[in-house]
Amino acid sequence: MDRNKLIKWIKTPAKMGNKYSLHAVYFCTGCGIIEIPPTITTRWDAERFGVTPAATPRQANLFLITGYVSLKTLKSIIRTYEQMPEPKYTVGFGSCPINGGMYWDSYNTIKHLDKYIPVDGWIAGCMPRPEAIFIAVTHLWKMIDNDMADGYKKYRNNYDQYRANQEKVLGSLDWPPLFK
Amino acid sequence: MNDLKQKIEMAFDSIDINIPEDNRMIINISKDGVISILSYLKNAGYEHLALISCVDLINENEFELVYIVSAYMKRDDEFHDREKQNIIIKTRISRKKTRFMTVINIFENAEPYEREIYELFGINFQGHPRLKPLFLEIEYEMPPFRKNFDTRKFVDDMFGNIPEIEGH
Repeated sequence: MDRNKLIKWIKTPAKMGNKYSLHAVYFCTGCGIIEIPPTITTRWDAERFGVTPAATPRQANLFLITGYVSLKTLKSIIRTYEQMPEPKYTVGFGSCPINGGMYWDSYNTIKHLDKYIPVDGWIAGCMPRPEAIFIAVTHLWKMIDNDMADGYKKYRNNYDQYRANQEKVLGSLDWPPLFK
Repeated sequence: MNDLKQKIEMAFDSIDINIPEDNRMIINISKDGVISILSYLKNAGYEHLALISCVDLINENEFELVYIVSAYMKRDDEFHDREKQNIIIKTRISRKKTRFMTVINIFENAEPYEREIYELFGINFQGHPRLKPLFLEIEYEMPPFRKNFDTRKFVDDMFGNIPEIEGH
């Protein structure tokens, strides 16, 4: 263990625990998921940074949206996100979740992911290299340290707006609101 | 391939066959003859329907349906010429009266292809047992793969009005 961080560990153990055990949901969408297998396996070995894939969303706290999001995928993204326990962090991956990317005039792809679920960070590029994922992870550490990765709180506080936006594109949703 | 061409020309009248390259045959046929030529080819050993596709020819006010059939490899230790041949059957239907008959009775695996074309081009396949949406999540005013579907206007209407989230 890094001795300089000992004080941090004693002061805020929960925060440090969250930081160094980011469990990513196995969720594939778009082309970016191609970058994930080399990232989590031996070549780049994401476990050096504490990032490891989790079997179910209920055991995960990092959600990588790896590419364009169609309407059908958005539905499962919302379901998955709402199942994850707090604190949870979302990272949009590539240019498509940011503003639609090359699917900016597609009839079936949503354009701005952050209007439907909160997104803590973006990785630009089409496609980002695996190194970019680690840069994002280290940025996320800093944000967690400074309490800036508060997307899940934003979701809780502004749930009405998020739910209204989700219902606007998907029609009625099959499940009851998460927060009353 | 030329033998098959002669046989088909003898069996069907008013049919246009050309062979643009080796092992590929394009058959243009009117829409009434599709069922009979597909069953003829199936009996001739072309038992695999590889794909059904649709092309929107908006300038000619017609849809073109494309069927590709090929043959399976047989295990009788005997090489058949047909095993590397693709036969493409093309037919035109009017854009105003988007109705056609299903080919499920001949090739059962046509079901998802016909559902897809129904969903994306709006062609109604008569006799299809469950003609309901396959891929799309929401309903569109016009089937989205038609050429006169205005994608940009649709995107502006649908996604342009969604507000940003305000607050922390």
